[in-house]
Amino acid sequence: MTSHPTRAERLDRAIEGMLGGTPSTTAAAQAGMEAADRSLLDAAAALRGALASSLVAPRFEARLGARLSGVAGTPWLLRHPGRLIVTGAVGSAVGVGVTAYAVWRSSRRSSGVAHRLLQR
Amino acid sequence: MTAQPGPARRRAVDPDPDLADVRAAQRDRAAFGELYRRYLDRVYGYAFYLLGDHHDAEDVTERTFLAALGAIDTFRDEGASFRAWLFRIAHNQLVNALRARGRHRSTSLDADSMATDDDPALLAGRAEEWRRLRRALDRLPDDRRQVIVLRFVDGLTAREIGAVLGRSEGAVRVLQHRALRQVAELLDG
Repeated sequence: MTSHPTRAERLDRAIEGMLGGTPSTTAAAQAGMEAADRSLLDAAAALRGALASSLVAPRFEARLGARLSGVAGTPWLLRHPGRLIVTGAVGSAVGVGVTAYAVWRSSRRSSGVAHRLLQR
Repeated sequence: MTAQPGPARRRAVDPDPDLADVRAAQRDRAAFGELYRRYLDRVYGYAFYLLGDHHDAEDVTERTFLAALGAIDTFRDEGASFRAWLFRIAHNQLVNALRARGRHRSTSLDADSMATDDDPALLAGRAEEWRRLRRALDRLPDDRRQVIVLRFVDGLTAREIGAVLGRSEGAVRVLQHRALRQVAELLDG
């Protein structure tokens, strides 16, 4: 005997198809969804599009990766080593720039003071 | 913490796609790096969408992977998949975090939690729809929101979600149906 799938089961089948790359209208038809439930599949598609994203900060990934590799006793390759290198390089460049500006300002200020003292 | 998910249930169809990597990690912990790279985003997403705070999400993610690495030898291919096992650990850590916090999420999820790999114009165009969806998600009861996040962020099946949450596959489908109906109504209203 074949039991008739419930609405929740049909919706789940349609979602499974949609997540597998089938267009939602096709997935709904293949799963035998009722018309009243089509809006639920639309909501599922919208949620899928809005929620599927990478949120992990590269620094956190690197820090946790280092900690885990310490536990495991072997270094691991990062997924995005380039991002971390770029982040580090930009940070270093900004640091060098700020330091150079501070030195320049300081030297100008002291030379101005010396100049005024010589004028007196 | 219980690392192993509830009652073992044999997967009826698909073999566990992570099994070879799990076996490798059981022989040599260094191989765990592959599983870490594969699941970092998903575990983090699960924690973030339930906690609503990046710092707390990082804490849960860190505890999850440390616990999983420590317990990797205890994983057995006896029903629940590796990812269901991993998310069960994440779920336990999440429950601990919520308990420690003493309240449920009060922080609303801001625009800075949107995808960062799209161009700004596209993100700006999507922003309003995204906010409406987020508001709808925020208004779901915890159990429904968990099902939605595990299904659409983490890509778990109803069976796997059942193993994570300690519920039957049918109960998960019903929760999913109710959650999506609520989201659809909130988006319409």
